[in-house]
Formats: sequence, C-alpha cells, structure tokens
Amino acid sequence: MSAAATLMWFLTLVFDTFGQLALKAAAGADGDGLAHWKAMAKDKWIYFGVSAYVIEFFVWLAFLSMVPLSQGVLVGSVNILTVIIGGRIFFKEALTPKRIVASIMVAAGVGLIGWAS
Amino acid sequence: MAGQAKMRPFYLIGFLLLVAFDTAAQIGFKFSATNTSPASFTPEWILSVICEKWSYLSLAGYLGAFVTWMTLLKTAPIGPAFAASHLEVVTVMIICVTWLHEKLTLPQIIGSLLIVGGIILFAVAEAEIEEPIELGTTPDAGTV
Repeated sequence: MSAAATLMWFLTLVFDTFGQLALKAAAGADGDGLAHWKAMAKDKWIYFGVSAYVIEFFVWLAFLSMVPLSQGVLVGSVNILTVIIGGRIFFKEALTPKRIVASIMVAAGVGLIGWAS
Repeated sequence: MAGQAKMRPFYLIGFLLLVAFDTAAQIGFKFSATNTSPASFTPEWILSVICEKWSYLSLAGYLGAFVTWMTLLKTAPIGPAFAASHLEVVTVMIICVTWLHEKLTLPQIIGSLLIVGGIILFAVAEAEIEEPIELGTTPDAGTV
C-alpha cells in the first residue's frame, strides 16, 4: 500500500473504532424503551458516534479509490480487534483468552472472504 | 451468571434481528446499484437512486439495524458484539450464492467457517463471564 493509502486505512480504523465506542457510551444512557431513546438523544456521544460514521464513510471511499476492494476489506477487518481493545480500555470489558481467539477468528474470516472476493 | 443466562434470549433475538436488517440493507444496495448503474454522482443518477424501490429496503434495513444495535449495546459488551455483528458477511454471501448465483470459492467457505466458529466461541466465552451491565462498575475478576 502507498503511504497515502496506509494513512487512509489508519483513519478508517480510528473513526470506526471511535464511532463504535461513542455509540456504546451513548447506549449507556438511563431509562428503558422510549425514555432510553430520549436520554440518548440528549447525549453528546450519540452525535459523536454518528458523525464519526459519516466521516468514516468518506474516508473509506477515499481508501477504496486507492486499493482494490479485496485488499481494503482484508486490512479493514483489523477494526474488529481495535474495537475489542477499545472496549477493554474504556468500558473495562473482560478480555479472556477465548474472547481474544474468537476475535482473531472472526477478523481472519472477514479478511479471508474479502481477500478471496 | 443468573443475569447473563436471563439475557441470552434477548441477545439471541437481538443479534438475529440485527443480522436480518444488515443483510436486507446490503441486498437492497446490490439491487439498487444494479438497477441504477453506472454510478455517476450526477443529479440524474442521484434522482434515479431516490426513485429506485430497492433503495428503500436499504434505508429500512439501516434504520432497523441502528435501532437494534443501540438497544443491544445498552447491555452487550461492545467488543464481542461488534465482532459477532460480522455474521452479516456470511448471510450476505449465502444469499448472493443462492439467489444471485455468485460463485463460492474455498477461501470464502473457510472464511465463513472462521466467522461462525469465532461467534460460537464468543457465546461459549460469554457463559463464563459476568459482564458489568452499567458503565463504571467493577469488571469481572481474572481478566487480562
């Protein structure tokens, strides 16, 4: 990959991971049902999360204009690992050996399908 | 552990719904893209996408997936949930092979098995973990 493509790949990882973690933070709002949605609508994190995805959409398009789709999906599958690491750091989620192996299996599977397509 | 066991039907139904919405959105994209091809980003092309009925399946799929995802995330851990949501890759591939007669290769089969195997392993791991439900609570002991 060129330096520009590598930078774009890095940015997709940053925005994808940040977006997911922001949505998780927003989902922790109080209440059930409609009250939960009203609480989320007042939470800044849901807007950060959605904004990160809008930005990531364009960064992903820019990245795919530089590399073949198969290569893009292959290296993009790393986001599964960055989100699970982010979950550990920011939400104190358990990172057991089984979860680590499971994450690697899913990421490898997505990468393999992307590479083969 | 009792709490986790109680949540299992919620997670199962939630993830099946999520995968169904995501799959519907991708199939909608495929048909919409085919019917409005070639993509030119001109006002005429954008109008043809807006008038294309399959675009609305994608929109409905995305909205449904967003609502389902945010509902799941209230209690589900983000790391395993995000990884498990990639089951969509397998369901879209199955529909592409059965409905759209796309070719299935050996690496795709192996990749699908890895994804399904990884998600089963996540389910096994969940049974052993008592995850903090609310933000800021103490995580389980014995984590890395």
